[in-house]
Amino acid sequence: MSPIPAINPAMSGLMPNVDMLQPGASPLPSTGIEMPSELGRAQEITAAQPTGDSFASMLGQMVSDVNGKQNISAQAVSALQSGQTVPLHHAVIAMEEANVSFQLMVEVRNRLLESYQEIMRMQI
Amino acid sequence: MIQILSGIQNTSAALDAEQTRLDVIAQNIANVNTTHGVDGKPYQRQVVVFETSLQQAMNGDGSAQMPAIQGTHVEKDSSPPIHIYEPGNPDADANGLVAMPNINMQDEMADLISASRTFEANLAVVKNARSMAMETLAIGKH
Repeated sequence: MSPIPAINPAMSGLMPNVDMLQPGASPLPSTGIEMPSELGRAQEITAAQPTGDSFASMLGQMVSDVNGKQNISAQAVSALQSGQTVPLHHAVIAMEEANVSFQLMVEVRNRLLESYQEIMRMQI
Repeated sequence: MIQILSGIQNTSAALDAEQTRLDVIAQNIANVNTTHGVDGKPYQRQVVVFETSLQQAMNGDGSAQMPAIQGTHVEKDSSPPIHIYEPGNPDADANGLVAMPNINMQDEMADLISASRTFEANLAVVKNARSMAMETLAIGKH
């Protein structure tokens, strides 16, 4: 069960913008101006460091974690309602965990969007 | 999997244990007058023994750790049965004494209060962990 089917496209829609923020991910279009050598070296150093998982895959992992928690809680509730011997507190704790992790995901999305809008409002 | 409510496994196991204890106390109270069990003997009082076991879990860096998780097992109270004089009872012996279960209702009620209070305390831990997580998510909100 996916509680919010639209979130995956929405997240992947955010991804290209996120990738642009990463150093050296997408080179800026050439303006014909020679970059100062110090800056170029600094960029080389940051690009050479291993960054591990990308932010996008981390976010994707988090979304699937939250989805997994939602599934667990739905299973616990349906097991309880169909008369299986699931303790009540297991179902309620699973629901709470799903709820709080969903709130966390929404909060991450809100902050991302907020920072994106902040950048879009910037005077050039 | 992200651990959003820390320490919730321990609390959940403790809730399981207290639930078992409540069930066993309910069984004892229900069988306070059972003089003839399935084996023909009076019902023997059951007691819940609490123990800790180790559960395999992962540290933040992926290495294994062994947190102590509460568990229970149910045992029989081997104290002798209480004899009351009731010659008309079919389970009475030659002297007219009936072996009643070794259950003291006052003890059971005290245990019931203790178990339900411990259950409530663990629920308070869950509630607190949840509200702490929600408060933490609200950091920086105006």
